[in-house]
Amino acid sequence: MTKDSKPTLAARRAFLAKLGGAATGAAVGAAALGILPAASARTEAPSAGASFPTKDYDWTKHQWGFGVDANKCIGCLRCVEACKKENDVPGNAHQFRTWVERYVYLEGEDHVRIDSHQDPVNIAASGSEKEYRFANRYKDAKVDKGFFVPKLCNQCTHPACVQVCPVGATYRTKDGVVLVDPTYCIGCRYCVQACPYGARLFNEEKGVADKCTWCYHRITKGLQPACVEVCPVGARVFGDQKDKESPISLFIRNNRVQVLRPESGNAPNVFYVGIDKEVN
Amino acid sequence: MPKHIFRLLALIAAGLVVAAIAKPLLTDSSFYRYGHYRADSVPEIAAQEPVYQTPSYCQSCHTERHAQWSASNHKTVVCEVCHGAAKGHPQNGKLPIPKDTAKLCTLCHEAMPERPRTQPQIQVAKHAGGQQCNVCHNPHAPKIAAAATKVTGNEAAGKERAAAACAGCHGADGISPNDTWPSLAGQNAAYLVRILAAYKSGDQTDAAMTPLAQALSDGDIQDLAAYYAGLSCKATSGGKVVGDADRGKLLAKNCASCHGETGIGSNPAWPILAGQKPGYLANVLKAFKAGLRKDPMMASVSRGLSENDIADLAAYYAAQSCQSTKQGKAKP
Repeated sequence: MTKDSKPTLAARRAFLAKLGGAATGAAVGAAALGILPAASARTEAPSAGASFPTKDYDWTKHQWGFGVDANKCIGCLRCVEACKKENDVPGNAHQFRTWVERYVYLEGEDHVRIDSHQDPVNIAASGSEKEYRFANRYKDAKVDKGFFVPKLCNQCTHPACVQVCPVGATYRTKDGVVLVDPTYCIGCRYCVQACPYGARLFNEEKGVADKCTWCYHRITKGLQPACVEVCPVGARVFGDQKDKESPISLFIRNNRVQVLRPESGNAPNVFYVGIDKEVN
Repeated sequence: MPKHIFRLLALIAAGLVVAAIAKPLLTDSSFYRYGHYRADSVPEIAAQEPVYQTPSYCQSCHTERHAQWSASNHKTVVCEVCHGAAKGHPQNGKLPIPKDTAKLCTLCHEAMPERPRTQPQIQVAKHAGGQQCNVCHNPHAPKIAAAATKVTGNEAAGKERAAAACAGCHGADGISPNDTWPSLAGQNAAYLVRILAAYKSGDQTDAAMTPLAQALSDGDIQDLAAYYAGLSCKATSGGKVVGDADRGKLLAKNCASCHGETGIGSNPAWPILAGQKPGYLANVLKAFKAGLRKDPMMASVSRGLSENDIADLAAYYAAQSCQSTKQGKAKP
């Protein structure tokens, strides 16, 4: 074992990055003198003291985190509704930045039944694709166990979606949110494919990739993400991990939390409580 | 150097020069500032206007509603969950008041086997008989006032206490001689306990009742309630009727789910209205409307009543018999 006990995948990735960087530098550096130095000079941070990205908000002072307590979720889907309105997500059942999955184990069955608001039965129960509701489809069934799991972008520390973007249209901010620059996005959808959580969508109205931003325009103004704001049961928790008394710090400290698909190497930042082995 | 090789190298060199000149021109000036992306896109995204405004935004104008809501069990359900996002309100007009509460409320409260047990849930088919939720529940304070308070009083002891303290106004046998004071005979004991306790604690105030109730012990209140509940009420109230009872009957349909069709409800925590003094009924409704009597449910249903509506309702309930339907009406 290495002394810093990094996961082997991350260690291998770091090693390959260094190797690749050295090789490229050696090969290209000599040939294209003047290009790379100019580029690297511009990666320097601007003068200290200037607050970025807004004058009241400095992204180096925050590290956002998100918690989901599936024990509390009642599947009312108000978060899905609020997210759609807050972020102008296309008003249909199949494009969404956040969603809720229902897991139901029926007596005598050896598999779990999973559905979300886009299931035809649930669309029929809500009356339209612009309203969101879980049909009470298991009310007469013998339910062994059932629960709801809210899902959203994990804002990974090593996001696969950012790695595959060919034009630098998606990136991870210093305060820990993965954003899409809609003016640079060419709509190739590599990122939609790359995300192991299916968290990205292609916004056909705008022709660009779209994703949950933890409501970056709200959190930089001191508000909570819209889904957290409207959750009536406190199943969604949000806060600054740099503040040891913030809701998310307390949530992580006071619960045994887990993340989805840790083996993917993306290092997700949405922490779950109360989920089952079937949830990933 | 052979000519064709020189040409090839010259072409490559020319290409590199063009690339070196074109790249900075075509790349946004903020592109490499923090990494391989356009730094200016971060403030652009951060500059979007929030759509959901939070309850403190609503509070500045809707102070009273906010106070009622924030003290209720629904305090975790923010305004915009039911009324929609507040961006552009009030400049661009009103926010909707949900009409189909049976659909809205069941989003959270329909009984589902996969919902956590701690969530209050109803069997939709059995709970309300197809009625809208806000017929009985005030959405801003949904909990219905204490169901059946326990009554353990002694009637004989209550009779003694009543003769000394209450009979002067409410009549020797609980039938008020005056149009503005309520008759108590035959009233629900649980309601009497609740209301006397409210006078005693100061939750409800009245120039005459407050000092009298403060002199009562909890045991006295129980005894009085048991005594008055056991008395026989007269068939008619005999008060001075000013309203139109027929019109009141139509209005009373809105009250029926709690107070019963003829003013005798199913929940003993709520008062029997049938055969009550019309002057008293009208005064109480006006007091609820003005906020002098505090009850979240009555406050919201009395808000829309005019003076005439109140007189008509009072006339209707005063004309009902407090006894005739009492036996058959009792619900399990």
